[in-house]
Amino acid sequence: MLARAKPVEDYSTARTFTVHRVRQRRRRKRTSMLAARATARRATRLLRTFATAVDVSGVKVAAVDNGQPTSAVTFLFKAGSRYETKPGLANVLKNFSFKACILFYLRKIDLYRTVREAELLGGVLSTSLTREHLALTAEFLRGDEDAFVDILSSVVSSSKFSPWELKESVLPTIEAETSAASADPTAVAIELAHAIAFHSGLGSSIFAPSHPSFTIEDVKSFAGQAFSKDNLVVLGTGIDQEALSRLLEKNLKVTSTGAALSSPASQYFGGETRLSLTEGPQTVFVGFGKAGTPPPEVAVLAAHLSTTPSIKWSASLSPIASAIPAGTSVRPVLLPYSDATLFGLLVQGESASDVREAAAASVKILRDTTATGSVKPEELKAAIAKAKFAAASAVEDREGFISTFGPKVLSGSETSLSSLYSALDGVTASNFTKVTSSLVKTTPTFIAIGDTTALPYKSEIGL
Amino acid sequence: MTIFGPLGLSFAPQIRKSPSLYRLFKPFADWYAQVAGYRQMGLRYDDLLLEERDDVQKALGRLSEREAYDRIYRFRVASQASVIHKNLPKEQWVKPEEDVRYLKPHVEEVWKEDLERAKWNNVQVQRKR
Repeated sequence: MLARAKPVEDYSTARTFTVHRVRQRRRRKRTSMLAARATARRATRLLRTFATAVDVSGVKVAAVDNGQPTSAVTFLFKAGSRYETKPGLANVLKNFSFKACILFYLRKIDLYRTVREAELLGGVLSTSLTREHLALTAEFLRGDEDAFVDILSSVVSSSKFSPWELKESVLPTIEAETSAASADPTAVAIELAHAIAFHSGLGSSIFAPSHPSFTIEDVKSFAGQAFSKDNLVVLGTGIDQEALSRLLEKNLKVTSTGAALSSPASQYFGGETRLSLTEGPQTVFVGFGKAGTPPPEVAVLAAHLSTTPSIKWSASLSPIASAIPAGTSVRPVLLPYSDATLFGLLVQGESASDVREAAAASVKILRDTTATGSVKPEELKAAIAKAKFAAASAVEDREGFISTFGPKVLSGSETSLSSLYSALDGVTASNFTKVTSSLVKTTPTFIAIGDTTALPYKSEIGL
Repeated sequence: MTIFGPLGLSFAPQIRKSPSLYRLFKPFADWYAQVAGYRQMGLRYDDLLLEERDDVQKALGRLSEREAYDRIYRFRVASQASVIHKNLPKEQWVKPEEDVRYLKPHVEEVWKEDLERAKWNNVQVQRKR
């Protein structure tokens, strides 16, 4: 409301403006009905989904404007670690983007200009990598979209990868990232779980190996394949779709449409591995996976087992929460991908014997939960509601919004929260039992990280 | 030397611009480079660049593996020649066409980057009216 008011020119108008607002507030107080109507009006303005993607010179563009004070534009590429041709290339590309040199050579722009201009305009340039997608994001104040869309498009279209830039600034970043991840038991467990569960494709790590074997030529050819039209979708938040399309038409020059990146269809294997690690808590990951589109039943299972209490400092109603010893934590981990799902329980604690007990207890509960008729209708209803809330609240922030709907825009499927809701609402008790019991019958992925002499083996916790 | 950058003071660009000056200086320059004696020890001109500087060190790091290896090899040959107080046999002298500036472009690039960083570090921001 305030933002829409014209700037006040002098004191008298400012006063009338204030008086007007006070009156308005009183009026609102008097009639609650009016207030309710105002809220309803505001609610309709909050679009929780992208408008249909439009095609701007061969690139899909989708934007949504909820009236946020800042805007963001994300270039989402289908070039995550599962598509990399050599281990670590996707991570290199993530760390190479926005390195100042990229703009320097082809466009004769000053070396540090990109970074400094972004700073001066108060924007943030960032990159992120998942197993399936590479995202280049610019966040900025409204009105600066011209500059930032230009920066993003030039990173994509006129990248030049120099060997010394790789050596001087990219490799140290990659090394730091890799060593930080290798000291974090949770990250190690998840990476190992993917490698064991899916072998190649989704199994390749989002971190580069500590002794990478790629050359600058590999990086160049991977970038040429990754930064291509068919791989790209441009997502905007807090920006008008037409304005974004116009800017992209003017700036975006993605021409490279070489051989498309491809990854074999995912296949679930499962297995067991143990890694000795001195840092962090003792960690056990018990996972089950499945190829194919992620079923909503697994999301409901994750919500049902989730040990995060709905009220702070209270005990969770999850069946697992009461069964595990104090000092340990069990977190259900749900990792849905375009053609596979990995669901698991991440058990962590200070002492290995407690972790053993907690892992055994939670595996037993998982088996019981998936048995026929063990989940009561009201429990299922609560779990569905919880899963719906989790899906909806993930969409609240920009990152979750992009990661939820971005892949859907890329694949051309429906991008709305209601489709997520209806999938979850459609979960019935019989379906739930059928899907989840077939899931836990697959070969388990068992990972133990920490004191490997004391941590349990697969057979010891009833797998 | 520092104020003229890592490469030192040079009038070569100005002389190259004027054809008559170039014609005048070229024979003298060629003679001088030959008489300076580094080619007789198997070195190139860029091997003589002052390398005890951060920017030149950075430029050296940007040489390709082959170039870096060859540079060290030339140094070893030259130091051996120096130890025995003899020039190399004439057929092993560096020919004028082999005496290319392999390091200069990298040094210039690093120099420009440093200038630019200094410029942006001291930038004065003015609001547009």
